[in-house]
Amino acid sequence: MHQGIAFRTAYLVTGSAEDAEEAVTSGFLKAYRAIGRFRRGKPFRPWLLAIVMNEARNRRRSSARREHLALRAAEERRPGDAAPSPEAAILEDERRRALLDAVGRLPEEQRLAVVCRFFLDLGEAETADVLGVRKGTVKSRLSRGLERIRKELPDDA
Amino acid sequence: MRDLERELRELSSAIMVPPTPDLAGAAHIRLGATRPAASWPRRPVVLALVVAIVLVAGLAVSPARTAILRFFGIGAVQIEFVDRLPAVEPSVPLALGNKIDPSKAPFPILRSDLLGDPDAVYARGEVVTLLYGSPDRVRLLVTEIGHSVLAPELAKKIVAATTNTRFVDIPGSTGPGIWIEGAPHIVVLADAPPRLVGNTLVWVQEGRTLRIEGAAELDDALRIAKSMR
Repeated sequence: MHQGIAFRTAYLVTGSAEDAEEAVTSGFLKAYRAIGRFRRGKPFRPWLLAIVMNEARNRRRSSARREHLALRAAEERRPGDAAPSPEAAILEDERRRALLDAVGRLPEEQRLAVVCRFFLDLGEAETADVLGVRKGTVKSRLSRGLERIRKELPDDA
Repeated sequence: MRDLERELRELSSAIMVPPTPDLAGAAHIRLGATRPAASWPRRPVVLALVVAIVLVAGLAVSPARTAILRFFGIGAVQIEFVDRLPAVEPSVPLALGNKIDPSKAPFPILRSDLLGDPDAVYARGEVVTLLYGSPDRVRLLVTEIGHSVLAPELAKKIVAATTNTRFVDIPGSTGPGIWIEGAPHIVVLADAPPRLVGNTLVWVQEGRTLRIEGAAELDDALRIAKSMR
């Protein structure tokens, strides 16, 4: 459902369920009003996500607080899997926390490219449509973003 | 060296994202309930939101599974966009239901100041039709459905993706209306057989879903729509 991915998009950008809900609501409303500008034959999802993404960015910018994304509890993430040792689980959580923080510190353009490609699992073309840039720009933003994360996070972190 | 891209993809499933709020469901409930007078100004927004969400939900239907490219609702009417119109009998006789005394309609019907009294009124279940002209020479049909909650079993339109459709503002209407023009599209009202129709305007007003069939131009349809009360 577009509603699900729209909310996920808005939440990953704002870090707040309330802001995300507002972003999706006003984004859908804007999409509805602008449906006449939607070009037939073009995929609908990136067009809608671009509007929602924009709403979410505006809300994040205007919000005084910086919400941080949280990780789910380790046991929720591994239904049915063999549980790692407590030490391994702690290390894994630390690494993930550090990774998430590093993504959060990226400049907005790079962060949104990472969110689209890796957290929303959009293809390069779709990411480009959502962000309103060329595919080459997506590639360079991702490359610079990943480079920055690598510098912040040593392999053994 | 760690595969950072793989790590980021795995991280995605570990991020705690709250469940998606049921925006469409909540809005539908609000729309279906009788609202206190003080809160009525919110209704257009709520309706537009419902329409938008239904639209968006409709687009999620996989074209691989069905020929429906997308659908959405204006009030009770479901509008489906398809690659190609299914075949229908070219000369289906009008099946508007039983001729009724307008005062016996299943709900208080709206009338057009501009058009005056219709030549006949028909009811087929909850679908009431005001006929201008005669069944053999129809000048105009105004269809009224007594509510504004999506009910494809009562009213469905099937429109080729290439047919022109546009959203229009109608004073007095709850949310925007839709104007379908150009190539004929299919309408299915209550249990009447599908038939091909021309330009149509659909909108929601005072808790009813209204449609005008037979106006040649949008301006004509809008003038009639504005005159309904």
